[in-house]
Amino acid sequence: MRRALITAGLIAVAVGVVSAHHSFAAFDTSAEKTISGTVKQFDWTNPHTWIWVDVANQKGSVDTYGFEGMSPNYLARRGWTKTTVKPGDTITVTYRPMRDGSNGGMFMTGKLSTGQVVSMSGLKITQ
Amino acid sequence: MAHPHKFVRATLSRMRRSTSGRLAVGAVLSAVFAAALAAQKTTTRAPTAADWAAVAKLPDFTGVWERSGGGGNAAATPSLTPASEAKLKAFQASPPQDAETANCLPPGMPRIMTQPYPMEFLLTPGKVTIVIEAYTQVRHVYTDGRPLPEDPDLEFHGTSVGRWEGDTLVVDTIGFSPLTEIARGIPHSGRMKIVERFRLTGPDTMVIETTITDPDVLAAPFVSSSTLTRHRNWTIAEYICEENNRNFIDESGKAGINLANPAGRPPAKE
Repeated sequence: MRRALITAGLIAVAVGVVSAHHSFAAFDTSAEKTISGTVKQFDWTNPHTWIWVDVANQKGSVDTYGFEGMSPNYLARRGWTKTTVKPGDTITVTYRPMRDGSNGGMFMTGKLSTGQVVSMSGLKITQ
Repeated sequence: MAHPHKFVRATLSRMRRSTSGRLAVGAVLSAVFAAALAAQKTTTRAPTAADWAAVAKLPDFTGVWERSGGGGNAAATPSLTPASEAKLKAFQASPPQDAETANCLPPGMPRIMTQPYPMEFLLTPGKVTIVIEAYTQVRHVYTDGRPLPEDPDLEFHGTSVGRWEGDTLVVDTIGFSPLTEIARGIPHSGRMKIVERFRLTGPDTMVIETTITDPDVLAAPFVSSSTLTRHRNWTIAEYICEENNRNFIDESGKAGINLANPAGRPPAKE
């Protein structure tokens, strides 16, 4: 229940902000997926931040997933910086997948190998 | 018209010789007065110490203000004329999946004022400048006593003049681009006028009361209000939407996200 409430809260926060720029039509907001990999690049850019994650596939290579996050102005006021997520970090991402099935979606939370959990509403340490 | 006064004197002198000319004198004087006002629009004189002292006596709007409750304008609903109501119903029956903001087109007035990102007020002699973080926008509100133009160009933020009524800044705005909307699915007509009243209600609290009239679209004035909170330790951030925009809406109204060229620049729009 608590998890459901937290998730609902995150969606409410996300809806309030991302709707400034675009709708959620491209995301399946009823689904939540989790995936682990290595950060390839963190775009600290407008109108959205993007976290690109290389995820090992069954062919022995990697697929690159893109996760859309809030804009730098919004995140900076909640503790994020342009180096909160760095290339080479291992990360487990929860996200709302793309409706068209392509690799990526709307970023919800990321758990880094340091134990830090980063989300659109802020940063926290869990361990 | 290099020497307008000379021209006016000569013209008036000729006209006074006839009865019909006398009737025309008023019209010429009006035209000259309008031309003088138009010329005044482009004139900026150096502010004096007294001008700055007058600014110092105005309410303290300085700093960065964030609208409470995020974006949108859910609380108030406009009352529409039957024709506009029918248009809205048709829009809602098969709405596009997104707005043009997905392509980075800024929303313009009035919706730029209800974005979930903050804005900053700059008070200078004869002018209030509103720096809006969303889409890196700016509004120019002239408080030097000039009138609104008769036939303004149509702009995203319209043309604004302001005046102080006690501690309230009252801003009148007309002349909006047809690309802006009153709300989703409610386009405005050429007769939309917006009156905004800005006033401090606490040390770090401001209320903006907005009244939109548009006799061709609204059955009654659309009144809404926003409460803003000042964050004295904030600065306005950059928001260049075109920097790395992967979102889009196409001409059929379908929205999408372009994940091509991961970790590079998004491909240029076709």
